[in-house]
Parts: sequence; C-alpha cells; structure tokens
Amino acid sequence: MSQPVVTPLTQALAEGKLTRDEVKSFMQRSDGPALRRLALWVAVLAGTTTLITLAWDSWLIWPAMFLQGVVLVHHFSLQHECVHYTAFRTRWLNDLVGHLCGLVIMLPHRFFRYEHCDHHTYTQLPGQDPEQVPMPQNLGAYLLYLSALPYWKTKFAEVARHAAGRLSEAELRFIPREERATVVRDARLMLSFYAALFAAMALSGWWGLVWYWIIPVFLGEPVMRFIRMTEHVGRPEVAQMSDNTRTNLVSAPWRFLCWNMNYHAEHHYVASVPFHALPRLHERLRDHIHVEPRGYLGAHLDILRQMRAARE
Amino acid sequence: MTEWCDVIAVADLESGWVTRVRMGTRLIAVYDTPSGIYASLALCNHGGADLCDGYFDGHVIECPLHQGAFDVRDGRPIAPPAPRRMRVFEARVQDGMVQLRL
Repeated sequence: MSQPVVTPLTQALAEGKLTRDEVKSFMQRSDGPALRRLALWVAVLAGTTTLITLAWDSWLIWPAMFLQGVVLVHHFSLQHECVHYTAFRTRWLNDLVGHLCGLVIMLPHRFFRYEHCDHHTYTQLPGQDPEQVPMPQNLGAYLLYLSALPYWKTKFAEVARHAAGRLSEAELRFIPREERATVVRDARLMLSFYAALFAAMALSGWWGLVWYWIIPVFLGEPVMRFIRMTEHVGRPEVAQMSDNTRTNLVSAPWRFLCWNMNYHAEHHYVASVPFHALPRLHERLRDHIHVEPRGYLGAHLDILRQMRAARE
Repeated sequence: MTEWCDVIAVADLESGWVTRVRMGTRLIAVYDTPSGIYASLALCNHGGADLCDGYFDGHVIECPLHQGAFDVRDGRPIAPPAPRRMRVFEARVQDGMVQLRL
C-alpha cells in the first residue's frame, strides 16, 4: 500500500476542525451507556407489546402494531452502532447484539457490516456507494420508496441470493474474499431460523409472533425509509463529508430510538465516535457540517423542494 | 540480523495510545500498551487508512475507516474486514528511546 487513504477523520484533523486530543476524547468507549439505553429499550418494547395485547380484539391493534413496528425497525440503528463497534466497549457484545438486531429486521449482520464499510468509503458517490438512496425523479417514485416495497423486494431477493451462494459483482468488490462463505452461511442460518420459527408456530397453532413482530415490522419500515432518506438524499454527490451528509435536529424520543444517528454528518466525519458522544461532537462541528434544524420533516421539505426545482 | 533503530523518545509517546512515526518513506505506528511498547506498519492492509488515527484500546488497534481491528502484539486480525496479519516490528526501550528492528 504505497499511498495513504484520506479518511474523513484524517481530513478533519488536517482541516484543523478537531485536535487529536479532542478526537481521542470523543472516541472513548464504554459499555454503560448502551446497556442503560438497552434496558429502557426493552421497557419501551414491553410497553408497545402490552398495547398490542390490550388491543387484541379491536381495530386499535393496528395503531398498536404500528407503534411496535416503529420501535422494531429502529433495531437497525442499534445494529448500525454495533457494525461500527461503538455501541459497547466490549467487542463481542457488539457482535452479539448486532446479530440479534439483524434477526429482528432480516438484515444479516456481517453482510451489512461489509456493505456499510463501502458506504463510508464512497458516501453519496453514484455507482460506488452501495447504500445510496437516489433522489426520486417524481412524487410517485418518492412515495414508492417510502412505502418500503422496493426495500423489501431488494432485501428478500438479496438474502435468498446469498443463501443460494450467489453474490453480485458489487458485493464481490466489498466483501473480502475470505469472508464470502461466511456471508452465505449467515443468510442460510437466518432463513433457517425464520423457517424454524414458522414451523414452530404452525405446530403449536399459536401465531402470535406474526402480530407482535412480523406485521409490525412491515408497518414500521416506511418510517425507517422516511428517516433513511433524510441522511443523504438531496445532499451533493461529492466526497466531502461536510457536504454530502445531513444532520437532523430531532426531539429526544427520536434521538433515543435512532441511537443519536440523527447526528449523521458528525458520524460520517468520525465514524469511530460512539453514539453517546455524538451530541458533544455536534457542538464542535455544527458550524462546519450541514444541519437541518427542522428535523426529519424539514429534510423532506428540502427533498421535495429539490424535486420540484429539478422538474422546472 | 537487522540493526535496532531509534524511532522516538518514550516521553514523546501518546500515553496508552498510538503514536505515528515516520522512518524514511515508511509510516510506523508505535503503541503504548499495558504490557509494553509494540509497533507495526501504520497503514491498514485492507483499505490503506492510517491506523494512527484509529481507536486504540489495550492491545487492539481499530482502523478509522472500516473499524477492522488488529492485535498489535502479533499483528493478528481480530475483526473484519482486516484480511490478514499486519506487519509488526520487534520493539524495545533503550536509554529512554523506543527502538525497533525495521
């Protein structure tokens, strides 16, 4: 390797936006904050699960399942934090919790990890960023994306393809050769787990998990699509991290659910900073990055405005 | 046998962290760990990022770009996407200087 790669962090240090001592201080990891948040997380899930139980014989089960779904799809945020090994200081806890979150939302953890590495390397660069959400061309495409139908179609096809032992050309680029068999095995294990679960429900005659888990996840995913769009869509398609990512200022419940990932520009600036330090990092970088003070709704207003402007 | 080379004064190391040292054209990462001083090539053998900007904890250095990780004592990869052992150098402290066999 003859030429060093300029990471966002190297860039930040070179720009003088952060000192080395500050970066070190922001990077410090701990198990405590995530374990405390997880305890509250379980309590929230217990609450929404109770709501479904109480609403079982009425139409109110649908809003209750939606609420449960909003929490369930946010396992993505915790899994994302584990992908970076920043949720917990103890490394194996990140792996364990990441795999469990992946089971909740059908996102094999190691595959996500490799894909996400490339997202950080090629953020918002068309054809290179494997997680890029393109700017919708019209309102129909915008609403279709938010429905999460294209997302699920891609995910089901992806997991099935991996379980069949096939990786796409793009995936062959970002999954290390020695880890390809692991990705295939993970997909097979995940599908086997779901198959065993459905078999158990069929044998027992108790289909509760469909109402407590499966339907809620599908009801909640559009909310996650709504949030994921706000991170990069409408930002310039350039390598400069201070431009290509959007931070959204949102209320405390949303920050709790997304594990502070609304501070997305800060996260891309220094991906090794744990979720609990992102608000402090925000205070240091807020004048250097793109901040949407109106939150997720403001980001969507910006996206819709850009869509309209592109058509005129 | 390769000669020992002075690379940095112990007093100039970042305590409990990783310090970047340039030796000619080579970038070296010098690690101050609970069990002594260790050193490796500074650039990650996965994506080429500078490990000296990464997170360091105990004996584990984590790449700032993809969070792949290595054990600095023997260069063993301990978290993907680190693909293989990183190149490590024998290190010792002599008269207040960190010395390496490069």
